[in-house]
Amino acid sequence: MNIEKIEQYIKDHCTADDYTLVADLDESHETRFAQNGITQHIAGPKVSIKLRVSFGAKSGSCEINQADEENLDFMIKTAEAIARMAPEDPEHMPSPQEVDVPKTQNYSEATVALEPKAMVDIVQKSIDKAIAQDAMVSGMCERHISKNWMLSKSGFCGHDIHSSFGHSMTLKKGEVETKVSYEAKDFAGFNLEQEFDRLSSQATALADMHSFDPCKIPVILRPEALQELIWFLAWGLNRRQADEGLSPFSGLLGKPCFGEKFSLLSTLKRPEMIAPGYSYEGVPARETTWVEAGILKNMETNRYWAQKIGQEPKRIFNFYIPGADSTEEEMMKMVPRGLIINRFWYIRHVDMKRGELTGMTRDGVLYFEDGKVRHAVNNLRFNEIPQEMTQRILALGKEKLCSTHAIVPTILADDFNFVDKTSF
Amino acid sequence: MKYLDLAMNAATSLGAEYADIRIQKTTDEVIYLQNLSLKHVHNGIKHGYGIRVFKDGAWGFAHNNVFSDEAVLATVEKAAKIAELSATVNKKKKLRLAPERSYIASYKTPVQIDPFEVPLAEKVELMMEVNRTMMAYEGIRRANFYLIMHKDEKLFASTLGTRLDITYQFIDPMVTATAVSDTDSQSRTFDEGGRATGWEWVLSLDLIDKAKQIAEEALIKVKADTLGPEERRTLILDPNHLGLTMHESVGHPTELDRVLGWEADFAGVSFATPEKLKNFRYGSEIVNFVGDNTLAEGLATMGFDDDGVPGQKWHIIKDGILNEYGSTRDTAMEIGLNYSRGCNRATYYYDQPINRIPNLYLLPGTKPLTPGELIADTEDGVYIQGRGSFSIDQHRVNFQFGGDFFWEIKNGKLHRPLKKILYKSCNPEFWNSCDAICDERFWRPFGVVNCGKGQPSQTARMTHGSAPARFRNIRVGGSQ
Repeated sequence: MNIEKIEQYIKDHCTADDYTLVADLDESHETRFAQNGITQHIAGPKVSIKLRVSFGAKSGSCEINQADEENLDFMIKTAEAIARMAPEDPEHMPSPQEVDVPKTQNYSEATVALEPKAMVDIVQKSIDKAIAQDAMVSGMCERHISKNWMLSKSGFCGHDIHSSFGHSMTLKKGEVETKVSYEAKDFAGFNLEQEFDRLSSQATALADMHSFDPCKIPVILRPEALQELIWFLAWGLNRRQADEGLSPFSGLLGKPCFGEKFSLLSTLKRPEMIAPGYSYEGVPARETTWVEAGILKNMETNRYWAQKIGQEPKRIFNFYIPGADSTEEEMMKMVPRGLIINRFWYIRHVDMKRGELTGMTRDGVLYFEDGKVRHAVNNLRFNEIPQEMTQRILALGKEKLCSTHAIVPTILADDFNFVDKTSF
Repeated sequence: MKYLDLAMNAATSLGAEYADIRIQKTTDEVIYLQNLSLKHVHNGIKHGYGIRVFKDGAWGFAHNNVFSDEAVLATVEKAAKIAELSATVNKKKKLRLAPERSYIASYKTPVQIDPFEVPLAEKVELMMEVNRTMMAYEGIRRANFYLIMHKDEKLFASTLGTRLDITYQFIDPMVTATAVSDTDSQSRTFDEGGRATGWEWVLSLDLIDKAKQIAEEALIKVKADTLGPEERRTLILDPNHLGLTMHESVGHPTELDRVLGWEADFAGVSFATPEKLKNFRYGSEIVNFVGDNTLAEGLATMGFDDDGVPGQKWHIIKDGILNEYGSTRDTAMEIGLNYSRGCNRATYYYDQPINRIPNLYLLPGTKPLTPGELIADTEDGVYIQGRGSFSIDQHRVNFQFGGDFFWEIKNGKLHRPLKKILYKSCNPEFWNSCDAICDERFWRPFGVVNCGKGQPSQTARMTHGSAPARFRNIRVGGSQ
């Protein structure tokens, strides 16, 4: 895809008052395996070229995936025709202007250089290790190289390249099921031996399963579990939703609505994470503290709402929750008994206004008492409000990169609200 | 199109045991109006082709958006190479494909008025009027209207000799009113989940009237009481609500790929394992679920699936007993079936098709029964309309559902509106607790246009349907 040629064509042929051009090219290789065999194996490029145009406050957009002149012409004419027919938008915003976009290194040469054969070898070794344990493994080995360009008539110019490598494995051994996943921009940090050892260790710990009834109980949430709650929590951290009375954080900006041990940031300072330089609105990434020691300091604000309330637009572009030094062993000694949660699954909002979520545990729950893991227990359903849960954090562990966009610690939280259980 | 033959000849010469090419052009138009502000008017096209090569018991799938002889041949070679790589792993785990014959056929979704041909101004004016209607109510803080129009134009060829020309489309209007009080905000939504039909359906819906209804119900809901602690109660569920419940608790557990563990790492597995076929009591005797990819206006009705297998109709649960799965050519053979039920579907050209839920519906009751009679026959319970929060475990056993609008039933009458109601149950307890289903006069279809599954993630569509039904002794209560 020749972005200069596309840009020039838009400049030469677009008659709208204003435009923003966004182009994406993703080169992916995805090997999916299940029950010790490969079931899907996918490769190819994905292209997206999107043009948003406006005449005054009337706007329209069109997206294509082919960059020849005939298709570019179709895109321009379609977007312009939509904009001409559209009513004026009282919340219309002009295209983003020239702005300093932070330079971020979001790809790794090791990931770019990864060949399909090497990925299949990783899958083969994963399966060999499972077979050696008389177990079944399922998972996904994937590599993505994503390029983005964003250009506007008002002078915005952004370009970003991301890479990501992921390898997840779910082991089924007898009745035990558990999972580990590695997801990072840098393949060089991946160590299959280490990942499989972690998987095996989790499986071993889960072998002795006991029935456990739901109750309020202290939990050690491992980073993958906490991360999933935080993604849902972030939906509520929206300034407009709060200002319009629709979110749990209405009227709470600047107030202590989280626990004082809890802080949440988006950061450019952790090179392990991807930090896109700019948003889909052309808002540059800036170091932002959303929650500081329990105080709600900022909320995501789009360009329109920021202008309306006289603030700078802000966006969540990754998550960093600072941790501390407590180990799981130390955490287990801080409370008489509790549960260790590997992951959550199928989290959904129950009450948007209160921020209440429901979901299930998955891939392993361990019961501990008197400072030691005693046995595994069945999976449980929770109904919980994450911001209230942060007020019950008793200790924080070391933070860990647990996806391309999140660095999160293990936490110990009191009185986590489990309401139901499964049969497995 | 010349590329069909070119690709299939090349795949055969590269030693493919089976191969297919799907040239697919997907056109989406999405209009989103919020509080009279046109947030999004978008026309998008994704046009390209995906080529599957099956070789030595393994798949390779490659896709491209460049249409030239060289690009098509290179994509076939890439798919073949990937299949060969996969086969090195699958030596002891070779996949097999269920037999299928060849077809030369075409299918087109019946449409009277193509929504893509309706002027944008006409669509937007209707949406603005619906928005204005809701905003006219004091206390309605937000009025949303999503209109989604989707069309797939597919040319399919396989090395079996199949040649298909398919045009499939659907439309989905979704309208939401949100009321805000001093202490709460609550939404009410009109959403039938889309249908494979044209603009004529939208015109028939009388959306202005629906807008008034949901605005008034949102205002009732924001001031409504909730229930106290969870208790065993009787539930009456309307067809729209049941559409989601059956999707999660019957549709997904009976996808054969989940049953086989092919989704174990992501979407999960299924409790409904093969040894339960023909003997496991999934529901009470009045519970009959049918998979039907021939259903008129059904979102999974497209003539053929992406294996080139024709749409079919079959019992998934018969008289309460687990009868059969939704299957594909590569999953069927794993349990000894020598035919596929035609459930292999991909979202875009760049997606490898996967086992999806068919159109799946609960057959109506066989005895005359109206919703009014069903409520009158219920001493104490909760009536749930529409879809809300939903969550289910990765074996598809334990679930918790909310809804969109709730009534308490007392002494056979709708007693008072409620909000924030949740029910918890599990398979097979829930479907075995079904003791009454209204008759066919009250059977209604409701679509799902955003069924997410797979890695890489894909979004599929299917239609569900039922008449209002009653469930006894379910754990029902208010949220926290």
